[in-house]
Amino acid sequence: MFRLLMYIGLAFLVPGLAAVGFAVYEGPVSWGVDAVTFWGVPVSLFVFWIGLAHAGTLLSAIFLALNVSMDRRTALLAELSTLVCLIIAAIYPLIHLGVIGNFYMVAPLLDARGNFANVRSPLVWDFCCIAVYGLLSLLFFVLHLIGGAKSNMLDGIVKIRRSMAWLLFPLVLWVHTIVSLDFATTFVPEWRGAFFPAYFIAGAIFSGLAMVNLLLCVENYRVRLLEKLMLVGSWVLCALWLWNFLLKGDFCVSAFVFAGVLPQFLLVENVRESRILRSMVCFSILLGMLLERIFLVAPTPQVSALAGISDSSRWVDWGLIAFGVGCFIHLFFAVRRWLSKPIENDEILMGDVDEVKESEESASERNARAKYFPPLTTPEYRVLRLPVLFGILVSLLFCIWTVSSNADSNIQVSLISVVPVFFPIVVLVASVILCAKPLWYVFESRARWCFVGVCVLLAGLFGAFYAGGSSMPAASESRETRAEHAEDMNSYARTIMIWNSRCSACHGVDGKFNEKFIREFYPVPQKLTQQRLDSLGLDSLVKVVLKGRVNMNPYGDRLSEDDARALVRYMRSIAPIDSVVIEDSLATDSIPVEVVP
Amino acid sequence: MTPLIHALACLLVLGLASFLWRGKITLLKESLLILAFFLLSVLFTILAGDLRDPNMELYPFRMLALCLCFSATTLHSKRRRYLVLAQVFWLWVELFGSLALFYRGFDVPWLRLVAIGGIAFGSSFLSRINREMEFCLMVFWIAVWTFF
Amino acid sequence: MMAAGFALFGCRDGLLGSSSGSRKLPTLGDFEDEVRRAVAQGGRGFELVKVPMPGSIKSSLSTVRSQDSANRFGMAIDLDVCDGCGKCILACNMENNVPLVTEDEAAKNRFMHWIQICGGVPFMCAHCGDAPCEKVCPTGAANHTPDGLSAMMYKRCTGSRFCGANCPLHARKFNFNDAQALGLARKFNDEVPQRGKGVMEKCSMCLQRLQNDRLRFKTEVGVAKAAGVPVLGSGEWRGRGVQTACSEACSKHAIIFGNWLDENSELVKVASRRELYAPSVVAGLDPSVVYMRGRR
Repeated sequence: MFRLLMYIGLAFLVPGLAAVGFAVYEGPVSWGVDAVTFWGVPVSLFVFWIGLAHAGTLLSAIFLALNVSMDRRTALLAELSTLVCLIIAAIYPLIHLGVIGNFYMVAPLLDARGNFANVRSPLVWDFCCIAVYGLLSLLFFVLHLIGGAKSNMLDGIVKIRRSMAWLLFPLVLWVHTIVSLDFATTFVPEWRGAFFPAYFIAGAIFSGLAMVNLLLCVENYRVRLLEKLMLVGSWVLCALWLWNFLLKGDFCVSAFVFAGVLPQFLLVENVRESRILRSMVCFSILLGMLLERIFLVAPTPQVSALAGISDSSRWVDWGLIAFGVGCFIHLFFAVRRWLSKPIENDEILMGDVDEVKESEESASERNARAKYFPPLTTPEYRVLRLPVLFGILVSLLFCIWTVSSNADSNIQVSLISVVPVFFPIVVLVASVILCAKPLWYVFESRARWCFVGVCVLLAGLFGAFYAGGSSMPAASESRETRAEHAEDMNSYARTIMIWNSRCSACHGVDGKFNEKFIREFYPVPQKLTQQRLDSLGLDSLVKVVLKGRVNMNPYGDRLSEDDARALVRYMRSIAPIDSVVIEDSLATDSIPVEVVP
Repeated sequence: MTPLIHALACLLVLGLASFLWRGKITLLKESLLILAFFLLSVLFTILAGDLRDPNMELYPFRMLALCLCFSATTLHSKRRRYLVLAQVFWLWVELFGSLALFYRGFDVPWLRLVAIGGIAFGSSFLSRINREMEFCLMVFWIAVWTFF
Repeated sequence: MMAAGFALFGCRDGLLGSSSGSRKLPTLGDFEDEVRRAVAQGGRGFELVKVPMPGSIKSSLSTVRSQDSANRFGMAIDLDVCDGCGKCILACNMENNVPLVTEDEAAKNRFMHWIQICGGVPFMCAHCGDAPCEKVCPTGAANHTPDGLSAMMYKRCTGSRFCGANCPLHARKFNFNDAQALGLARKFNDEVPQRGKGVMEKCSMCLQRLQNDRLRFKTEVGVAKAAGVPVLGSGEWRGRGVQTACSEACSKHAIIFGNWLDENSELVKVASRRELYAPSVVAGLDPSVVYMRGRR
């Protein structure tokens, strides 16, 4: 069965991959986009898949936190689907970008050029939240697997799992809230909605539930509670659509039919009891929500003919959709097959495994609670509140750093703009602290090394983001040499003028650096000292001026060789001034210039 | 929207809240009730407010959040947990609503956010919530709703 | 799979970069034809509302931290004089090396022009003081200069198109195609870089002209200081005498460029005698490009 599904997934995946390859190669022109809406199918698919990714953590974390009993198999399946969906959701924004190689600039870190990402942008929040969410749901899933595999070490794991659940619970909702803000903070009339967080989360949970129910149908297994929740979800969404319609007058009929009307068949007992009909209802919900997302992203008349796919879109749009579907089916069932033992290992106890553990645990907790603890030493404080407190501290430091880094670059970061990145960092720090100790003791030595390796990898990633890509010198093109401004000046004044107009933007009027400009655009150039100039020699310096070097642009097309020679001589003459401080207002003036690529 | 109608919304919500969590709590019944309340708040917003005002986009959701806060006091078990959750829901609606509105040129109501956040944080430390404490909380919420 | 993806976007640069050898260049006539076509097709006009003079009230919302800047460049377009001839578009294209678009795109009215004739009136980026595009740009490629311009740093653009989605005027243009490889671009002006594929662009208020004038001014002041000659005026650059390509090209003198914070600039002198309007969608965002009509 799973093998068959894997092949079906592959059948979707292969054309999907071709479409992804084409889309990546051709850029945004390949899918149906509009000069006015600009966003296309990849963004809709991103929102759709990130919504599906909520199911897992919702089911296991929120239910665990709220003491709703859920059997291990459903929870594990849901968590696994979360991970797979997250991977898919992370690919789409990359496809969406026009210059994919620059994606690292979105990370809210200071980079080697002294540039900080614009923390006011919802995309930066997205990046943070999704990265943290992905990491932590992986951790949560691993904890769950270990908890099932090694019953002797359960105690520590189960305890931190519950604390983790309390941390993840708000994070899940936070992530999708932030995704909704991508839309809600804009001026697009169709995306006008301060209520979008609630709207998106309702949609995400609804589609996530449909996904889990569909997966459970495949397992030939059902959880009544989830079906009821799905039904309630459809009502909630209908109410939200109504409000959206009243506010803005746009309404997606096909989404309403597929995700609003058809689920009501679950009220009919015959439909509910039949596995095939049930899965068809789940599928129709997923379809409806997909159409709804497409409609939401591109609500122009020509695109919304079928709430999305019409003649304006191309095969690539279909291919991108197929890629998501195929990738999910293939990856999910591959992992499902691989992990079938831990997922199915307590078949007999299904339905009450967690409850047994939980009741034991809560009994011991109750005993603990009955005792008296002096302030700040209760288990709750030590286990959960202390890491959270530490996380808040780290997060505060980060926010202060962010705001102060942006202060000198004309960007006014207001307090509320850093709020969205605040919480993910708190959760990240808190859960790393929370899990570090128990996980360290649970793993054998080899796994510990793996863990250290992952840490090194992460540090390397941060380093790569910090260093950024190289900036290549602009390709030299043959252009005729242009005379500089004034012709009637003597050659020395002319050289000074060329230096001041062409070189001083980076090298400074006095041969020092114009630090502000350089930090913004390029890595700091070599300092021009007398010794260095002497060691390089006249000819090679002239060559550097004309042909360019590393980050210096070539000036051969704008300067004659004589000019370059005169410049080098001028450079020599100002180099010794290096140590003397001269008061010159020009050197400190920032000069915003468009960078010549 | 005039202050009087704004206060009336609070009263309406207080009345509605008493219908929630009565008798045996079942998922379908309670969710239908909450949805009905939501639709009522939508109706109230349409009748009492100007839909072109972006502040109104949030209004039914704020009413619903307040309703959940009020109704959480009538719960029999796990009252503290759900009180905190309801208040966090309210905070969440207000915080992200005002964040979205901030990008469209509205001021952030910091006082309201801090007040709700403060009371939510504070009530997570309450060990026993008795009648008087409930009353205090409700008065505080009403004050936040009408004045901040 | 990821590896395949990375390999692919690695070669996007390599393949397209190498094709520059056999590049055919469009003629000036092609550009003129396209402008004529764009003017004929036109666009839907924007609703205009009255606004105060830019720079007259210091907006608390303004994205610029340094409110004490001496310059805020902007334009005023005279609606009583402008007849939507489209000369400004052609001048702008040649000044800023704006590429042509394919036949397909032109049919859908998607030109790369930085100026669009909507309802018979030229519309370009309004260089809002509280620019929504700058707020949502994740990398800070869309930024605000101390001179009040909404500038674009092409090298830092990731092409997320968030700014384009958030611009109420739709003044931002995205390089969907590699115009240079398709033979749709021509470099008329050496001072403006040609934009690559996947990058956002828009009206820069002829930043290069302003920069050249600033450099000339500073150099002259510097040379004069070094020579011991007293400097005329305050020694502060106010951008006097600079013209944008569109204002220079307008034979009816309908586009007036200047410094809103300089009482002596022609812009302030003319605009203070007229009623000022701005598209209602950006009127609240403190635009620097406004429209004049009637007498005050």
